[in-house]
Parts: sequence; C-alpha cells; structure tokens
Amino acid sequence: MIRRIGLLLFLAVLVISCSQKKEDIVISPEDFHESVDRVTQVMIHDIFSPPVASRIFVYPNIAAYEILASQDNKYLSLANQVRELSPIPKPVDTTSLNYELAALVAHIDLNKRLIFSEERIETYRDSLYALWETKNRDQYEVSKKYGLEVAEHIAEWMNGDNYAQTRTMPKFTVDTDNPSRWQPTPPAYMAGIEPHWSKIRPFVIDSASQFKPTPPPPFSMDKDSDFYKEVQEVYDISNDITAKGDASEEVQIAQFWDCNPYVSVTRGHLMFATKKITPGAHWIGITKIASRKSNADLHKTVYAYTKASIAMADAFISCWDEKYRSNLIRPETLINEHIDENWEPILQTPPFPEYTSGHSVVSGAAAVALTDVFGDNFAFHDDTEVPYGLPVRSFPSFKAAADEAAISRMYGGIHYRAAVEIGVNQGRNLGKFVIDNLQMTQ
Amino acid sequence: MNRICISIVAGLLIASCGKKEGELFKNPSSEQTGITFTNSLEESDALNILDYLYFYNGGGVAIGDINNDDLPDIFFSGNRVKNKLYLNKGDLTFEDISEKAGVEGKSDWNTGTVMADVNGDGLLDIYVCAVVGINGFEGYNELFINNGDNTFTESASKYGLDFDSYSSSAVFFDYDLDGDLDLYLLNHAVHTQESFGRVDLRYERNYETGDKLMRNDGDTFTEVSEDAGIFGGINGYGLGISVSDFNQDGYPDLYIGNDFHEDDYYYINNGDGTFTESLRDYFGHTSRFSMGSDVADINHDGLPDLLSLDMLPEDEIPLKSSEGDDNIQIQRLRVERFGYHYQFTRNMLYVNQPSGNYLETALLSGIAATDWSWSALFGDYDQDGEQDVFVSNGIPKRPNDLDYIRFVSNEQIQKKLDNTKLVDQQALNLMPSGAVNNAVFRGAEGLKFQNKSKEWITQDTLVSGATAYADLDNDGDLDLVTNNINTEATLYINKTNSKSNYLKLKLRFEGRNPFGIGSKVYSYHKGTLQFKELFPNRGFQSSSQPIVHFGYGQAQKVDSLKIVWPDKTHQMLRDVDVNQTLKVVKKDTKPFEYNKKLKTKPLFEEIDSNLGIDFEHKEDNHIDFNREKLIPYRVSDRGPAMALGDLNNDNKTDIFLGSSKFSPSKVYFQTDSSFIEQKFAEILKDSIREDITALINDFNGDGKNDLIIGAGGADFSGKARPLLNVLFVQKDSLFETVNLPELFDNTSTIKANDFDNDGDLDLFVGSHVVSSKFGEIPNSYLLENTENGFVVSEGNLFEKVGMVTDASWSDFDSDGKDDLILVGEWMQPKFFKNTSNGFQEVSLLEAEKTLNGLWRGIHPFDIDNDGDMDYLLGNWGTNSKFKADSNAPMQMYFSDFDENGTTETIVTTQKNGKQFPLLGLDELSSQIVSLRKTFVSYKDFAGKPIDALFEKSVLDEASILEVNELRSGYLENKDGKFNFVPFREELQVSPITAFVSHDFDGDGSEEVLVGGNYFGTTPFHGRFDSFPGALISSKNDIILGDDLGLDLTKKSVRHLHVLTVGESDYLLVTFNNEKSKMYKLLN
Repeated sequence: MIRRIGLLLFLAVLVISCSQKKEDIVISPEDFHESVDRVTQVMIHDIFSPPVASRIFVYPNIAAYEILASQDNKYLSLANQVRELSPIPKPVDTTSLNYELAALVAHIDLNKRLIFSEERIETYRDSLYALWETKNRDQYEVSKKYGLEVAEHIAEWMNGDNYAQTRTMPKFTVDTDNPSRWQPTPPAYMAGIEPHWSKIRPFVIDSASQFKPTPPPPFSMDKDSDFYKEVQEVYDISNDITAKGDASEEVQIAQFWDCNPYVSVTRGHLMFATKKITPGAHWIGITKIASRKSNADLHKTVYAYTKASIAMADAFISCWDEKYRSNLIRPETLINEHIDENWEPILQTPPFPEYTSGHSVVSGAAAVALTDVFGDNFAFHDDTEVPYGLPVRSFPSFKAAADEAAISRMYGGIHYRAAVEIGVNQGRNLGKFVIDNLQMTQ
Repeated sequence: MNRICISIVAGLLIASCGKKEGELFKNPSSEQTGITFTNSLEESDALNILDYLYFYNGGGVAIGDINNDDLPDIFFSGNRVKNKLYLNKGDLTFEDISEKAGVEGKSDWNTGTVMADVNGDGLLDIYVCAVVGINGFEGYNELFINNGDNTFTESASKYGLDFDSYSSSAVFFDYDLDGDLDLYLLNHAVHTQESFGRVDLRYERNYETGDKLMRNDGDTFTEVSEDAGIFGGINGYGLGISVSDFNQDGYPDLYIGNDFHEDDYYYINNGDGTFTESLRDYFGHTSRFSMGSDVADINHDGLPDLLSLDMLPEDEIPLKSSEGDDNIQIQRLRVERFGYHYQFTRNMLYVNQPSGNYLETALLSGIAATDWSWSALFGDYDQDGEQDVFVSNGIPKRPNDLDYIRFVSNEQIQKKLDNTKLVDQQALNLMPSGAVNNAVFRGAEGLKFQNKSKEWITQDTLVSGATAYADLDNDGDLDLVTNNINTEATLYINKTNSKSNYLKLKLRFEGRNPFGIGSKVYSYHKGTLQFKELFPNRGFQSSSQPIVHFGYGQAQKVDSLKIVWPDKTHQMLRDVDVNQTLKVVKKDTKPFEYNKKLKTKPLFEEIDSNLGIDFEHKEDNHIDFNREKLIPYRVSDRGPAMALGDLNNDNKTDIFLGSSKFSPSKVYFQTDSSFIEQKFAEILKDSIREDITALINDFNGDGKNDLIIGAGGADFSGKARPLLNVLFVQKDSLFETVNLPELFDNTSTIKANDFDNDGDLDLFVGSHVVSSKFGEIPNSYLLENTENGFVVSEGNLFEKVGMVTDASWSDFDSDGKDDLILVGEWMQPKFFKNTSNGFQEVSLLEAEKTLNGLWRGIHPFDIDNDGDMDYLLGNWGTNSKFKADSNAPMQMYFSDFDENGTTETIVTTQKNGKQFPLLGLDELSSQIVSLRKTFVSYKDFAGKPIDALFEKSVLDEASILEVNELRSGYLENKDGKFNFVPFREELQVSPITAFVSHDFDGDGSEEVLVGGNYFGTTPFHGRFDSFPGALISSKNDIILGDDLGLDLTKKSVRHLHVLTVGESDYLLVTFNNEKSKMYKLLN
C-alpha cells in the first residue's frame, strides 16, 4: 500500500516538474472571500468573543491591503496612518512576484496565527499551495516568500498591541454590593469577558475613551425614574412581541441579529452550545455581499474589508471601554429581581456589562465605513445568517441595517433603549472619525 | 472492513474471557443463576437524555425473603422493561416468577423499588416508583401486597400510594414511632437548570416534583408533608435518601441528596411528628450533584457516618475533559446572591461527632472521586471488622464532556433542535462513553479507605446503578446485586466464606413492624464497638435484605450484643458465638435511655455578651484568583491582626484587633468586667493598610506599652505606603506614629525578642509573598532596637529565606540564648542559632529529611513530657486535592510561561509517577493562551503530564518549589535533633492555623488548644470547614473541640488567646471574615 502511494507521489512529481507551464496565478475576489469565510468558520469552532473576533479580522485584512496598495496607485498605504504601523518591507525579487497571490498568502498566514485550530487553516492553505505550485512554481515560490515576509512584519506590529498582556490581567471582579453593577447572567453565569479590552492599542481613534458616550440614565429602582422606565420598557416590549409569536417582525429581527458566538444550553447534566457568528462577522458578511453586488475587483474587495474591519476593531475598543466604566446591570437581572422572576429574554444575555450595546456601536461604525466605500442607499439582501437557520433580510442601506441591528437588542431583551440609541450614535461618530482620518484612496 | 470486524470480535472475546475473577467476589453467569433481567434502554429520537434529564438513572433492585423460606429473593424494576421477581431456590439458582406473581407492573417508566412489610402482616410487600406525566409516561407508583402464596395484589390506590408524579425512591420507616411503617417518597425536579432560581422555591409545594411524607394510619396513608416540615418544591432534584438516627435520640432522621444547585436536606426528627431541616447547622458544605448515599459507623464510635456520592473522576482523562467545579465568582453568586449552600463536585464522607457536627473527610479517606457514581453500599465484605464500601458506577454517555459541549454538539444538535426540539442518535453517539468500572474500597485503619477495585472485583465496563446486598447463598457473607443498563444484572457472590468470622442477625419485632425496621445493634468484641441500624433502604433506588451483619476477623466470640428496638427498649445478649444467623425476638427488654453525653466534661462555655467585643472582621472584595488565576490558594486572607496587652497602664489586658483593607482597626480597653472600644485618631486614620499581625509591648523602654502592626494582604505592590509596618508609641494616653524601616514586603509575622541581650526588644519580621508574583521568595528581616529606633540588622541572613508564615524565638540548643525557628509555605522549618557572631542556620532535622510543607504556624510545647522543648507545627492537612509525600512531592512551577512579562504559577501533583497540573485547560489557558493552540481539544490535553504540556526548555526556565509533607504534627526533640511526628487523622482534616497554651483542664500542667480551617481556595478544592479544634495534653491525649463545648467548625480561625477578665479566664477566638468569639473557661 505504502509502495503504491509512493509511486503515485513520484508520478505526480514527475507530471508537475515536466509540465512547467508559466500560467499566471489569478486571485479572484472570490478567493479572498473564501479565505475570510474559512477564518470565520474556525472562529465559530474555537469560540472567540466578539472583541477578540474583531481583532482576528483586522490584522490579516491590513496585511493583504498593504501588499495590494504597495503596487496599486489607486490605494494608499496605511503605514503611519494607523497607530504604530510602519511600511511593509519592499520585495527583493519582483521578477515573478504576484502581489495578489502574496496578499492572499499573508492573509491566510495571519489568520492561522490568530486562531487556535491551526490545522483547519493549514488544510485549506496546503490545498491552495499545491494548486499554485502546479500552475506556476516560480510565481508561487516568490509570492509566497514575500507574502510570509509581510505577514511577519504585520505580526510584529500586531504583537505590540497589548493583547498578550491583557490575557494575564485580572479577571473582572463582580461588585456584589452595588445594585447597579453588572452581575453574571443565566444560564451559564459566565464571568465578564475582556474587561481590559480598552487597553488594546486602537487603530485610528486617539484613545479608547475618545468616543465616550454620555452616561445612561442614573440607576434607580424608583418606578418614576427614567432608568426604571427603561427597564420596564424592555419587559413590556418583550411581553408584547412574545405574545405576537415567533413569526412577528420584532422576534425575527431579534433572532436575525443575535450574533452570539456561544449560546449555552443546559438540559440537566447535558450541556451544549449553539454557536453563531459574531456581530463583527455579520458585518464582514455584509461586506462580502456588497463587494459581490457591486462587482468589486480584488483590490476594492480587500479595501472594503480592511476599512470595515478597522472601524469595527476601534468600535469594540471604544464600546468595551464604556462597558467596564459604567459597569451596568443587565435587564434580565433586574427584571428577575424586581418585576418577574420567571422572565427570560428572547436572546441569551451575553456575558458582559450592558452599556453601551456592542452590536449597536459596531453596526453604526461598520455602516459608516461601508457607506464610504460603496455609497449611500446601497440596497442589499442579507443572507449572512442563512447557514445558522435564519432567513434573508433586505435593507435599503447600510445605515438602515445598522439601525435594525441596534433596535434588535431591545427586542431581544438584552439592552435598554439608551444603550441602543446612544450606542449606534457612538458607533457612527467613531466610524465618521475613522473614514475622515484614513486616506486609503487617491 | 472485514478485518476490523474480526478484530472487534476478537477484542470482545478477550474482554469477556480474559476478565480476571475478583479475589473477593465472583460473578456467576445468568446460565448458572437464571437471572437474566436486563434494563434494556434504547435512545430514540423521541426519548433520550435531552428530553429527560434522568434518562440514564436506571431501575431499582430490592432483596428480601418474600416467602419466608430463609432464602432472600430478588426483585428488579426496569425503566421500560417489565419488572422481574426471582425466587431464590438455593445454591444460587433462581426462578423467574414475575408473571404469575403479578408484579411485572404497568407503568411506562419505573425507577426505584423497595421491599417492606407495608401492612405489617409479616410478609414483605413490594413498592415500585414511577415517573409519570412527562414524555408521555403513564402509570403510577405500584404497591404489590404479598398474598403469602408467591402472588401479589397491586393495591397502591387502596393505600393511597398510587402517585402519578416524578418518583425516584421510596423509604418505609416509622418516623413517629407509632409502630407501623410510614413512607417518605423521594421525587425529582425536571425544570432544567436555566437559572438558579430562588432558594425559597423549596417552600412552595408542587405535586409532581415535591417529596412527600405519608403517615401510615392503618388501612391507608395520609399525607403530612407540609405539617411535618418536609420541603416539596420544584427544585428538589432528589436522588439520594438515607435514613438514620443521626443525632441518636431514638427518632429516625433523614438525609436527602439533591442533584444540581438545590441544597441537600438534613431533616432532624423532632420526635413530635415534625422535622426540622438543619443542613446549615451541621454541614459546612455538601456534595453538589448529590446521587446515592449510605450510612454506617465507620470509626467505631457508635455514631452513624454518611457517604454522599457525586461524579468526580479520579482518572486524569475524564477528569480533565469533563466540566468541573464552578469558578469562584459563580460560587459567590450562588451562595451570596441566591442563598444556596456551599456545594462541591466530589463525594463527601461526613464523620459524625458527638456535638452533631461532622468531620468531612472524603479526600483524606480516599473515596472522594469515584466518577459517575450512583449507589454507595457500606458493608463488611471481607469480615475484618471494618466497614468497606461498594460504589456502582457508569453512564452510557458523558453529557458533561467538554469537547462535546464546546465543539461537537453545535453542528450536530443545532439543526435538530431548531426544527424539532429533539436530538438525534447521531448527536448522542458523539458523546464519549462513561462506562466505568464499579469500585470497592476496603475500610482501613482510622478514617482511611483503600481502593480494592482492581483486586476484589472484576474490572467491568458495566453501567451499574441500583445496588443491594444480601446473603444470597446463606454462607454468612454479604453478596451484592446490581441493576445494569443494557446488560444483565450482576451478582457479586462473596467468597469470604469461612476465612473470616461473621454474625448475621434477623430481628423479630412486634406489632405492625415485624422486621424491626429502625432497630439498632451495638456489638462489642475485644473492646471494639460496631454499630448498625436496620434501615434496608440503602444506596440508590434500592433496598437490601433486612438483616444486620457484622464481621469479626478471627475473633471467635462477641462479648455482648445490645439490641435497641424502635420502641426505645433494649435487650442484651452476651458471649455470642460467631458464624451463625441469630434470630432475635424482642423479649426481656429494659428501657433504653437516649442521652447524648460528651465524652468528657466541657471546658468551654459560650457567653452571650462576648464581653463587649463586637469586632467583626470583614475581608475586602479582592479576589486573588482574579489577578493570579493559577495560584493554589489565596494569600490576601491571612488577617486580622490581633494582640493583647495593657495599653492604658492599669494592669489589665487590653485588645487590639486589626482589619482588612479600608476598614479601621479597633482597640478595646478592659474595664471591671468587660471591654469598651476606645478610638484613637492616630490609629484609625491608617485604615488603608491590611493588618496581618500585631504585637503590644514596651518597645522604647519608657515603661509604657506600644503597638506594632505588620501590614500585608498581597493586594498593594511595589512601594505602596500601605505595605509599611507601623509602630505606635504611647504618649500621654495617646499614640504617636514612629517610623519603622521602609520595608515594602507583605509581612506575615513579627516576633519580638532581645536577641542581642542589650535590654531592649528587637524584632524578627517575616514576609509571606511578593504581591502578584506568587512563587517568588520575599525578604524577611531582623530589626535591631537601637538609640535611633529600629534598624535592619546588617548582613541580612533572612533575605529570600522563604515564604514565611510564622516564627518562634526559643532556646532550642539550651545555651541560654534564644534562637529562632521559621516556618512557611513551600519550605521546611528553618533553625537559626543565636551565636556571638550573629545568627547561623543549623540543620537540626533528623536524618536530613526534607520537610517542605505549607506550614502555617509553630508553637513550642513539650508534647512528650520528657523535659525538652518540642514544637507543634500547623500544616495544610491531608484532606485535600493537594497530595504530597516524600516519594511523590507536590510541585509548583513558577515562570513567565508565555513570555508576556507576567509570571504564572502551575501546581502539579503526582499520579502514577508523573506530575499533572491540578487545573484544567480552561484555567491554564486563561493565563497561558498559547496552550489553546497546542491543545485544540480537551481530549488532546487530558491525561498529559506537565512535561507534555510545555517544552523542556520552557520548564527548565521555571523555578520549582516542592512540598513533601502536608500533615500537621510536631517536631520531637531528641537530644537537640528534631524528628517530625504527624498528628492523628482527625487533626489533618483542615489546615491548622493557631495555637495557645494554657492549663485548660486545671490539672496543673499546660495543654495546647489548636484551631484551624481555611476557605482561601477555589471551589475546585472546596472549603476546609469541619475541624472543630482540638486540645492537646500530650502526644497520646488529644481531644477534639466538639467534646469540650467548643465549636470552631464552619469558621476559619486566625488566633487563639487566653485572657483574664476580673476573676475568670476566657478564650478569645479571632476568625477571618467573621465575628470574634469569647468563651468562658470552666476550670
């Protein structure tokens, strides 16, 4: 058996080496979408929280973008535009260098560094490598070498973003004495995730607190207070739409934008998780849809991904800064304690403080970035969540989608109105700042 | 493919033929016995563990002689299959008479079963529990009344016992001692654990899930649950039930084991038809996923001890790939916010004490981890006079497998759930099997059990649940029967036979309780007491043969047998021959007085006033594990500081009590008969500091006492001012701060002594840890008292001397100069000789042994009364997941494993010669993320020793500290050399933290009172809360605090002090995170 495989390999090598055709390796936008999809799938498997997921998207995109921009006059390098990024090394050997191929190589390589289950990326990468080698070995070798060199350069920059240090920083300590403070929520009562995300080096914004939102209504369980009214509103909306049923528009909206990477389910001793993509990944999905719909070429596609993912990465830093500043208790905890002990939100409450709504901030920022790339009133059918059993929804614009994503958190029973409305504005302002301060096109 | 089939078949053949017969038990085949009962259970799309959480809990087994031919018969209940009744025909052959007996049953889902003489006619009846009303299950609990001709008549509705609810077990016992058998029906909740819910849900009765107490009123049963104080809520996941007269007042009490977050219930029978649930009064913590339980007196003190099972695996692979204990914040939430009791995922062994408290010793006893365990059955299987225990084990699928939860379940379950709310077979098949072998432990000396699973029984892959014992072949020893899922029931036939001696008692009581359920038997031979109660309901969903069985080893005679009948009368039998079945009929009885006596005269008495000391120490919210996620225990909880001394020059002892971060310390002045708090602005203003240690003495030689406070807490770091120790000197009835050398270490102890003999007091200042760098060794110091105040002694010998916790100035070489002994964690006791050239470390441990411990305290005491000074040492104890001895040390690796500038601490213990980290992948990777890349699944990680987790080069960089002695004990002085002698087991249940010498019993010589307990660990370790304190008079005379009127359980002792107020002496106990407590000394 082994001998037979050996023989086949030998023949294969012969065929490859004898057929040294010099066919150009063409990297299509679809090839890039595929790489993004692959890393998204691995993220679902490995379970990364939304802020960490945003970091996994952004660095590989920047690496690919920097390679393409270095050779395409339409696009400008991000070096010295985003914090602490220096120009990527210039290629030594440009004779058979295929920049697009190098860009994809760099993208895949950084994806692999950022996730846990490397084997899943390696299998995909190796099949591509084999294909490219057959097609044009010279081009493959030279471009791969350069792609990996750039990936290394980006990785060095990436490693200075304080991510490693934040891993060993203290866990979030729950404040049990102050009734306004966040408490872990059912069913898993997970500890607050990423309490130090504000210490991650931002990309464009000056600091994590640059877009610090106005505070939420002051905590009060006095029935006439603004805060209490917001609690009551979450409860009332939830009851209303539950009564309307699962098919109601509001429940559909809540489910569509759930984007919870880890919904834990307990049945006695049996536990399991149902997993979805993160809010960031949903907007990465929308970026793909818009790129395809507008027939964007590879360069524009990578540009769109890069701009959207930078805006979202900064949005998470800004939002998480506020979350652990205001450290506000979730509706589920208060409603169970004060209004209805049996109430459960339509969506599972995610494990971090309430204010502001992460999905709102991130959607606000992403929509501004995508509008900047693809224009306003860009209508699209959003089928991003179809693999997770959810329907297609259609939107007249990115902004409309962001508004719906924001309000979905109230329908889902996991956010008060202030977190949603102020949150989406926080994201928009941040997004505006990002596009105003990044010169990516001539 | 063919080849695979062949090898599978071959494998099966080897597995079935090659099984070694156990040394103690053999398993006759069903061809030999005729017992073919199989609890066949098939998962289907419509019914499986996702739809019904107790799908794998199995059926029941009950053993008893239904036709009074002296041969015990066996009844099995099956979940989906018909019940079976096997008539014992002798010689281990059985006849299936189920059909003609009319006991096959009608319910769709049967659970536990019990044989009991419900109508009191001298014939055993059979009760079968059922789950009805969920998953389409129909039927009801059935009561088969014995007609006396090997047939039965189902009569549940006639007796009012035809419940259609979620029953798991039933117990017939006479709770009101009116002579007939009442019923406790154990039901289980089904509401899935989406949120903890209120604790007080247990007070709202629910028919389907709530337990029920049914009083036998002759022809029918009347529900009395509510009036009797029995909980019946929707959150009682009742799986375990044990009946015993736990408090020895003649009335049977109950222990109910609840699965999941609901607390277990400990019902004390009030003797007036009611019960008082009293778990928190007597139990500091319980098992969490409580399953079956059993009761026996394991330590010959005539008190029933309790074993409650859980599901912690011992084997590294399931251990590290299964969901474990809560993290500390979830536990706090569960306890502090929701109000549940402390629960931990492991078996618990509660050793009953005369005070009613329990020593919880499962880890020390070696039976804490038996994996997915259902039934515990005590019995003297080898008849050596010690109680052994059999544990049935296994689950077809492990639903708490971490890979399944995190990675596998998603794709498989999600689609199915979304569409149908059901899960399919394919998804179930991805869960790993939990078919682990049954276990048996031999009762060893003291509180220990020895795992004999590999020797005594065949290594099986059965999923065994309900288990019962009986002497099936009437050869005098105890045989066992297990009801298995999807395999034939197993008979374990005991081969002890005549190798050891036994006595088997069949009791004949009167009236409607002819079997004498609830009787007690005290057996005495050669000064050894054995105590048994006749409650046949044992283990899990089963009842055993109603006999009392004792083993006697080679002893030929039982000196006396005292039989105490349920009606509080007793009779004595003397000089009883062994190796017989004795039928004891009630006759010539005398009244039996239940009066609980302490073994000794109490020496301590609580006083309500506390003499005006209202100090309550409160720890701040700092959780060490949030900052250093991998450290083995907290270091910020070593306060409060405490010192005695006269602070106002009236020759009365005053008290200083230091506080935690941000709380002010307190000074109490003694008045004529009590204490009054005195506020000193200078001392109060310093509240940021965490006070760990304090001492009162005249440090500046002005004839007035001063106060030194040692600061620590391991929260502040670097050159933070709150880390500085302070000296307050007394000036004109006020205090003034005097600066001490600026040493920013976490002080653990300050001990004063004029070591340079210049007439003033010098200091040793010991340091415990470096903040946020657990494992790094801090500096300790000698401070010399000079004209310019205290200065650090030159050439500091105590730099990085160890993680010091305590010190003792003592002239150990009898040269007239006080020497210094240091103890600490991850180090051995160190001796420093006071010479004319300063201090010199000397090696005084006998045989050059290393004695690295987690030492908490040292106290000089001549324990062997030979005139030289010995030293008592407080250590961690052995009732812990920490394991260490000289052959298999516990190790701590300290390094920056992931090279991100922060150090990590990994503690490992040895199993099978290899060092395994105590913590799992989730915990380790929360600090060292790179492990997630190396181990993408829990399966990859599980079972890997530390040298397979990290590259050798990484481990070589780490500093390694070791512990090879965890026991507390004493250093015996042998002509100036010291030999370590451990204390007995009862003193190893918790860390020992405090000592005080005094003549407590008024015999003219001093004893030492020791205190302990410690809660600074994560739920993985549990809480060390059951040590009641102990009085040490000499090495062979140690009495537990329980026997002396002292209750130090459930609290963590930091200091013990004796002081005189007015005419009387008092003991002041200072606890961490708790009110200080004053006891009056009664001598």
